[in-house]
Amino acid sequence: MNDLEAIKPQLNKIQRTALGVGALATLGCLVGAFGNPAQFYQSYLFGYLFWIGLALGSLAIMSLHHMVAGGWGFAIQRILESCSRTLPLMALLFLPVFFGMKELYIWARPEVVAEDLILQHKSAYLNQTFFWIRAAFFFLVWFGFITAMNRWSLEQDKTGNASFSDKLRKIGGPGLLFYILTMSFASFDWAMSLDPHWFSTIFGFVFVLGQALLTLAFAIIVVAKLADRKPLVEVIAKKHFHDLGNLMLAFISLWAYVNVSQFLIIWSGNLPEEIPWYLHRMQGGWEWLGVGVVLFHFVVPFALLLSRRNKRRVQILARIAGAVIIMRLLDLFWIVAPNFREHGLGMHWLDLVAPLAIGGFWVAAFVWQLKGRALLPLHDPRLKEAFSHE
Amino acid sequence: MADQVLDKKEHSHHTGAPLIEPGHSYGSVTDKISSIVLTRKTPVAWFLGFSVAFLLLMVFLGSTAYLLMKGTGIWGLNVPVGWGFAIINFVWWIGIGHAGTLISAILLLLRQEWRTSINRFAEAMTLFAVAAAGMFPLLHMGRPWLFYWLMPYPNTMALWPQFRSPLVWDVFAVSTYATVSLLFWYVGLVPDFATLRDRTKNRWAQISYGILSMGWRGSAIHWHRYETAYLLLAGLATPLVISVHTVVSFDFAMGIIPGWHATIFPPYFVAGAIYAGFAMVLTLSIPLRKIYGLEDFITMRHLKNMAKVMLATGLIVAYGYMIEGFTAWYSGAEYEEFMILNRLTGPYKYVFWSLILCNVAVPQLIWFSKIQNSVVALFVVAMFVNVGMWLERFVIVVTSLHRDFLPSSWDMYSGTIWDWATYIGTIGLFLTLMFLFLRIMPAISIFEMRTLVTDDKKSKAE
Repeated sequence: MNDLEAIKPQLNKIQRTALGVGALATLGCLVGAFGNPAQFYQSYLFGYLFWIGLALGSLAIMSLHHMVAGGWGFAIQRILESCSRTLPLMALLFLPVFFGMKELYIWARPEVVAEDLILQHKSAYLNQTFFWIRAAFFFLVWFGFITAMNRWSLEQDKTGNASFSDKLRKIGGPGLLFYILTMSFASFDWAMSLDPHWFSTIFGFVFVLGQALLTLAFAIIVVAKLADRKPLVEVIAKKHFHDLGNLMLAFISLWAYVNVSQFLIIWSGNLPEEIPWYLHRMQGGWEWLGVGVVLFHFVVPFALLLSRRNKRRVQILARIAGAVIIMRLLDLFWIVAPNFREHGLGMHWLDLVAPLAIGGFWVAAFVWQLKGRALLPLHDPRLKEAFSHE
Repeated sequence: MADQVLDKKEHSHHTGAPLIEPGHSYGSVTDKISSIVLTRKTPVAWFLGFSVAFLLLMVFLGSTAYLLMKGTGIWGLNVPVGWGFAIINFVWWIGIGHAGTLISAILLLLRQEWRTSINRFAEAMTLFAVAAAGMFPLLHMGRPWLFYWLMPYPNTMALWPQFRSPLVWDVFAVSTYATVSLLFWYVGLVPDFATLRDRTKNRWAQISYGILSMGWRGSAIHWHRYETAYLLLAGLATPLVISVHTVVSFDFAMGIIPGWHATIFPPYFVAGAIYAGFAMVLTLSIPLRKIYGLEDFITMRHLKNMAKVMLATGLIVAYGYMIEGFTAWYSGAEYEEFMILNRLTGPYKYVFWSLILCNVAVPQLIWFSKIQNSVVALFVVAMFVNVGMWLERFVIVVTSLHRDFLPSSWDMYSGTIWDWATYIGTIGLFLTLMFLFLRIMPAISIFEMRTLVTDDKKSKAE
């Protein structure tokens, strides 16, 4: 814990600033909500889908880490755990969506459904009651895995019992499996059904990979800040940043792969029930955002991360990770926002303020959680093994 | 050399099983693997297996000859089902090849040492599977001798292939795949050919292995260049693991046939390919280690790891089935809904439910450690997956086509005796090549196994 004392003042400062930003932005949101409630809910959902990616992506990467137990994973394990413990906050922050259902989802408006045969067909799935039952179920599953992983890791810190490592390793597979399953349907519910006529079977993977990539980039930035202090400075080596960089490269490539697959298949089929989703996003200014995402979410970071040098220099790697986080935000905007804007590219000031409001509280919660535990697992027998691998 | 012997592998975490049984040295590894080719008497099982395989190869020869005489009319194709066994078998074989590339390239880059004893014959399996796969599009052309028309080249007919067709992409994808796999396999064999050249007493074998080893002397420079080349080839082969089956999935998904046109197809096909491939590696390695007494090299840890990869990829495949079914309903598109109902309850429902049994239900047994530790059980599960993956392609191809948009053109499809003969014949082709490979080449990489014996530091870290 002594290692933490040294950086606590800085962490406290970040936490206070984040809370301040969150509170101020919340005020802005309130003002915006009175003026333009529909816009508020739309911006809020966009911000929410971004930030929950960090809480859930951490579940994915923790599961992966517990299965393979490499040095890179132990270096960021406590960061991931802190991310994941923000889930209760994110569950709470999901509630405002309840009040904006009709503003967000046209399938929730009875007068629209009454005139639409396809929506009537879908109403067995797309109805408000079932939507919230599913959401509760998703949170329950996520909460279960996240609690187990955090508790066992803490118990091991306290008791030094090696058997917890075995438990953690065993939960990794099911954790990943259930995360992918639930997140797929959550992405159908929360994002895909914004355009309730549109469907794409790969959409779940698009979200899962986006969240995993976002969390990894975030963890890289945090670990880069902590790397030159105790306790990480004693174990972390260039090799681990190299591994993290490679993993980010892999996620970026897979993200591109699923997106290209989705686009190519829908473009080639050119069916009236599928293609409008892309047509809308390829005109009225949205196409420039799309091209930007292709270039800076894939081409540039991919090229940069091919270089061994960039992956082994902590500061460069952290900067690439920062750019990836911004691109995650823009990619989500390109997916979500066109649903609400029929006349081309546009941005409301709430699209900035709402993510800031959620983000302020999220970062404060994250820092608060990070302070609570040692920055490296204390007694995991796999840790020594992993770091001696060099 | 005796002090080289290490038993530290026993500490390996996770499974507790070693990658190479304790008690081996440089010499014993080389002796054991090279003796299979050079000195040991060829086991009776080999002759038995080879005879059966060769017989099946003759079936292939016969059915191909008849096909060339009569044309593709001898197959069971009809009007709604214009793609039958030929594409099913093509995809099945290509898929099987994928495990070889994944084991040799991706696991190498991921520094997974357990790949070492299985990579050589898995790569051979890839090559032979691609050869078997290639037979089907060639034969389905009707005039296979004009295969080069698939290539874009300036010609007097002033015709170019349709570049927007994924079938043309397939030509490039598969031929690249075959070329890189062959190179990768051959480069990996060079140092071992040199070992065989130096050890054999037979003059003819000395000359043959000598030519194949391309003057390998084992100098430091040779090794240095070798390592660089091998790593580069691994980097080249890695995207191929994904690209080939992605393009194969495009053959279906780019069209607008309900049941084919689904965005999940690329990742789900790739996972299915790796799934089928690992099932085949298990199917081959379990008898191989038994017959040649290679349990020291292909240990339980290898079998368990392969089973786990199989389980993971199998779950992705199951995810694909589930999402496809859900979306067919969710889409609200009537043809999509009909297609999925027809699969579940139509005339081919038995094929569909057998596929679910083989690919989704049975492999869940791997969750139990009792199954993981039983060689026989793993072999049985792998056989289920081999069958299941064939059924999967049958379901995708046939149930999507046989009841198309116009009920008056609906028809049933089944393979004729010639379809089956050609299919079984390619199994003969595959097995014959595999048996010949086992007889004349080192089925396990000798020099890479030696690094497992000596790598003191790494084995401690294990």
